[in-house]
Amino acid sequence: MTKEERLKKRHSAEKRFRFYGLASIFVALLFVLILVQNIFSKGSSAFKKTVIKTEVFYNQELLELKNGASEKDIINADFYEVMIESLIKSFPAKNIDEENELIRLFSADAEYEIKKAFLNNNNLIGEKIILDLTASDDIDQLHKGNYPRDLPEDRRRISNFQLAIYDNFVENDKISKNFNNYYFTKGDSRDPELAGIGGAIVGSIYSILICLLLAFPVAVLASIYLEEFAPKNKITDFIEININNLAAVPSIVYGLLALQILLATIQLPRSTPLVAGITLALMTLPRIIIPCRASLKAVPPSIREGALAVGASKFQSVFHHVVPLAMPGTLSGTIIGLAQALGETAPLILIGMVAFVVDIPSSPIDPSSSLPVQVYLWSESAERGFVEKTSATIMILLTFLMMMNFLAVYLRQKFEKRWN
Amino acid sequence: MNKVKIKSKNLNVHYGQKQALFDVNLDLNEKEVTALIGPSGCGKSTFIRCINRMNDVIDICKVTGNIEIDGVEVNDENLDVVSLRERVGMVFQKPNPFPKSIYENISYGPKIHGKGDTKSELDEIVENSLKKSALWEEVKDRLDEPGTSLSGGQQQRLCIARAISVNPEVILMDEPCSALDPIATAKIEELIDDLKKTYTIVIVTHSMAQAVRVSQKTGFFHLGKLIEVGKTEKIFKNPDNKMTQDYITGRFG
Repeated sequence: MTKEERLKKRHSAEKRFRFYGLASIFVALLFVLILVQNIFSKGSSAFKKTVIKTEVFYNQELLELKNGASEKDIINADFYEVMIESLIKSFPAKNIDEENELIRLFSADAEYEIKKAFLNNNNLIGEKIILDLTASDDIDQLHKGNYPRDLPEDRRRISNFQLAIYDNFVENDKISKNFNNYYFTKGDSRDPELAGIGGAIVGSIYSILICLLLAFPVAVLASIYLEEFAPKNKITDFIEININNLAAVPSIVYGLLALQILLATIQLPRSTPLVAGITLALMTLPRIIIPCRASLKAVPPSIREGALAVGASKFQSVFHHVVPLAMPGTLSGTIIGLAQALGETAPLILIGMVAFVVDIPSSPIDPSSSLPVQVYLWSESAERGFVEKTSATIMILLTFLMMMNFLAVYLRQKFEKRWN
Repeated sequence: MNKVKIKSKNLNVHYGQKQALFDVNLDLNEKEVTALIGPSGCGKSTFIRCINRMNDVIDICKVTGNIEIDGVEVNDENLDVVSLRERVGMVFQKPNPFPKSIYENISYGPKIHGKGDTKSELDEIVENSLKKSALWEEVKDRLDEPGTSLSGGQQQRLCIARAISVNPEVILMDEPCSALDPIATAKIEELIDDLKKTYTIVIVTHSMAQAVRVSQKTGFFHLGKLIEVGKTEKIFKNPDNKMTQDYITGRFG
């Protein structure tokens, strides 16, 4: 082979390599794009809900309340009759069946929405006001264009009569899409239009906080001891290997462990963020120890020697000099570990977090859901309304994860000291 | 002739199975500069790291024999290394300022030893240390800047100032100029000359010229053994040992 041939071969090898690299990046981006596009197109509509403008008449005869009634009386009062009367008046229905079909256009929460309006203004007796009442899931999906209205009637959940009412509402500008506050503030529900991730978010936050409080101090102290103080011998080697092994253990195994120890033996309350937090802490521990030890290792020995040489004790040299320098790396490792914990589903399913929880947990020992488990739960539901909720929840979860990862990168770049 | 400050007797050092020092007997005089020369890996650095027990850091390192400072045994297990290192400062081969401000670099030592409780006392210590290490004029207006932003030579003088800040009796220097250019080296040598009025200095160097310029006494190490020790003039003009002669004339090493 001549020199020119060799040179040519070398150049073409380099070109080939660049092409492969670019192609890989392109393929990777394409997959990300498909994923994001899919989730976004399905999920973005969940942030809006369909409401029907309805005239509500607070008929004195149907209510056992007076103007200026106390909050307690209002909460205990029955607004069902008021609701039925107001809803029926919104469209002329000929018989009881048609009236029922009409009422089913509205969500089950219409009565509470009417009550809530009265709570905000308790001088409405005998008044008529226009309220935006939440529509039922079927109408919601129909209005968002997710419902096939050209199917034959017997294969539709929406009857021809209901379609006619809907078209009438649309014509009279009574139907509109508002910001879906329920999605963010409510807990889970059987009715998709009333289901929200409020409970799941609170549950996830509690779980992650407990995970952080347990895993971070233990992991950091373990790393500092192993890296700076422990003698290097077979025992510490063995511990190191096992920490690395633990980081690779499938998360469902931690779920089984928690099921056996935390629930069966210690009898902690099932389905709670407390148990979830402890389980996730077990899982996250090795995932924090590894980056923490790596950051401690990255601090040059000359810094330790410099401190020791001016008479700092071992403890002082470690805590005054080495640990502060290792902190940015440790913190970003911790945040990434927590982000993994936030997205973890399998162990939480095993400890019973798949339970159907309507209430928003008020403490870490209340039964609760979490964001990834909520995704799992809704993805199994048949109603169309849960499809968009599933994707929307994935968007929320991904947003949290991205924010955490950005924070990790930011912390590392801002505070990491560089030495030559 | 100054009185003996540091005295080593039958000092042996092992790194695991490997023996690094063999029966070193060496006396270092007070307020004098002693240079230790010899080829790489001959044990010079190991020897000076015995004086402030820096070898404790290395797990596999085992030191036997005696080193005395003012008649007090250094290798005594009950001796507090913190107070030993307060008396015996050290400057390393590569400048290693803390990644903190110039001020904090120097005030750290006095702070942990409880010297300078007030801000004004600390200010004074910082100023004096920087003046003694001939760095004050260059950095007095930027004490808040990180120590790592200084040039290599300045960083090394900062490290010397840091060693001085706790007011030691002995300063150990492990090839302090090997990472510096000739101008910075000249400044450090000038500084060493000045410091020997106050401190006992031990310097490890690979430069014969430097040993001649700064030291009063020179010890030649080879393969872990102290081959010859004596007045610097004698070692370089008329050594007793043939190996010393070969080394200083550049025939090996």
